[in-house]
Amino acid sequence: MTSLTLGFMPLTDCIPMVVAKHMGFFEKWGLDVTLVRQNSWATLRDKLHANLIEGAHMLAPMPFASALGLAGKRFDVVTPYVLSRQGNAITLASSIFDECAQLDHEGIEYSLPLPASRLLALIEKRAQQGSKLTFATVYPYSCHYYQLRTWLAQYNIPVDAVNILVIPPSKMVDAMKRKEIDGFCVGSPWNAQAVRSGIGVTVVTSCDIWPAMPEKVLGLTRRWCEDNEQSVISLIGALKEACAWLVPLPNRFEAARMLTDQAYLGARIDVLTPSLLGSCLTKSGHNPRAVPLYNLFGQENGTHDNCPSVSQGEWVLNQMVAAGHVSASSASKEFVADVFREDIYHCAINAHNLHRNCEKLPA
Amino acid sequence: MTKDPRLQVLFIENDTDKASKMINALDPEKYAVSHLRSGNTAFLHLVEKYQPDLILMDVESPDRDIVESLSVMSAANPKPVVMFSQDEDTNTINSLVKSGVSAYIVGDVDPTRVRSIIDIAIARFDEHQQLKNELVSTQQQLNKQKTVEQAKIWLMETKGLTEKAAYGILRKNAMDTGQTIELVAKNILSVATMLEM
Repeated sequence: MTSLTLGFMPLTDCIPMVVAKHMGFFEKWGLDVTLVRQNSWATLRDKLHANLIEGAHMLAPMPFASALGLAGKRFDVVTPYVLSRQGNAITLASSIFDECAQLDHEGIEYSLPLPASRLLALIEKRAQQGSKLTFATVYPYSCHYYQLRTWLAQYNIPVDAVNILVIPPSKMVDAMKRKEIDGFCVGSPWNAQAVRSGIGVTVVTSCDIWPAMPEKVLGLTRRWCEDNEQSVISLIGALKEACAWLVPLPNRFEAARMLTDQAYLGARIDVLTPSLLGSCLTKSGHNPRAVPLYNLFGQENGTHDNCPSVSQGEWVLNQMVAAGHVSASSASKEFVADVFREDIYHCAINAHNLHRNCEKLPA
Repeated sequence: MTKDPRLQVLFIENDTDKASKMINALDPEKYAVSHLRSGNTAFLHLVEKYQPDLILMDVESPDRDIVESLSVMSAANPKPVVMFSQDEDTNTINSLVKSGVSAYIVGDVDPTRVRSIIDIAIARFDEHQQLKNELVSTQQQLNKQKTVEQAKIWLMETKGLTEKAAYGILRKNAMDTGQTIELVAKNILSVATMLEM
């Protein structure tokens, strides 16, 4: 058995790691994995760089940020595996949503997902009062931040028409309760938490903004990958089984139960379950929206897999360029292929197939 | 009002006992410590208002992402961050420091160590900022040279000039109009683009 430590942030989409552990997939692949809950993306990243953890549940833009040294020292981090797609949403404070509805005559409640254009009247009203709406997101180099930007940009709302700041996911709902923020873009289960608490309205999901783009990835340092080829193949094998296990809907409820454990999220089952079952809670007392692929972990309808394809990596990096975090000259295809390692993914899959075929051969 | 000569430290810590222990470790004649229990939005305003010289926090604080976002997303200038760890395992601290994390970890609250680490952190941070600024100015210099080079080539190709003559035109134009050579080159290039359209 090879001992490994993986770091994760307490969010619904850490579930492939949790399932791989609880369903014995890591063990089956010869890995003795310890999962360690982390408190911030920055410290998770530093621990990966320092080799205090061997692998990390990372935001898809983070390996690029490490490889470019955007925060702190430059460090070669790669990803050979996409853990999840989608799962984020934008929630407005109930009072903000109601104010929007009053300023708008088109029956806002019945038109979810909400186009950002419905915010325009309120943004203008605030501007006349000399203030701005304030949104929160989880990390500068996060899909959440770029999705919030995209949502606004789709309706030609300049990003600086609103304030955007960073708050840890677990503190979002409290910040909204204290009226410090008017809206946020965060991952499950915190949108559902805001709706269940009756303080927020979830108006749009990442499936509406960026369908099927990578959300969380398995981050590894390049050096560790090179020195531990067999462990990388086994990690991918175990996580692939976990993601396949997560496809049948009946297993999703069991997955939600696993996450209620204090060691993972410690959140309530009625908050954890909806997104995993393809339900987006919208507003207290209103019907949830059906968003079948809200949390996507692997092959659904045979269309998505866990391959960190270079084209999707380019797409993620281009969001970073658009936000001014990365200069266009750094965003070459070669650089993307050095970080989004679809080659390692395919090697691992081939090794699995080879292994399986060998087992079938008569002795 | 004269500026407080002491080092302005913003200290983020939820645990009041730990906080007072750390504050007591710092010489009040040298350090002015503002204590904040948690980094909420008020925290962002505080950083902008007080412009601390240094932020001190636990490496396991969930607020670390807020602090890290300051240099990317807010108007506040980047601040050196000193982090401490409650982890008994000194390996954690040493590995993080060795791997070049953006901050320096204090293992325990030993006053002399805290002070020297703070001093080193500030010196290193200044050095890092200087390098960063130098990199930006080098890049700007390179861009300038590139613009002048392109304008020169355009003049040579369209007017059949030698390199020296092309550069002479740029320089004379700059002197006549009281502009920099780079600006003249830029203007020529924008005219060139228009002509080629």
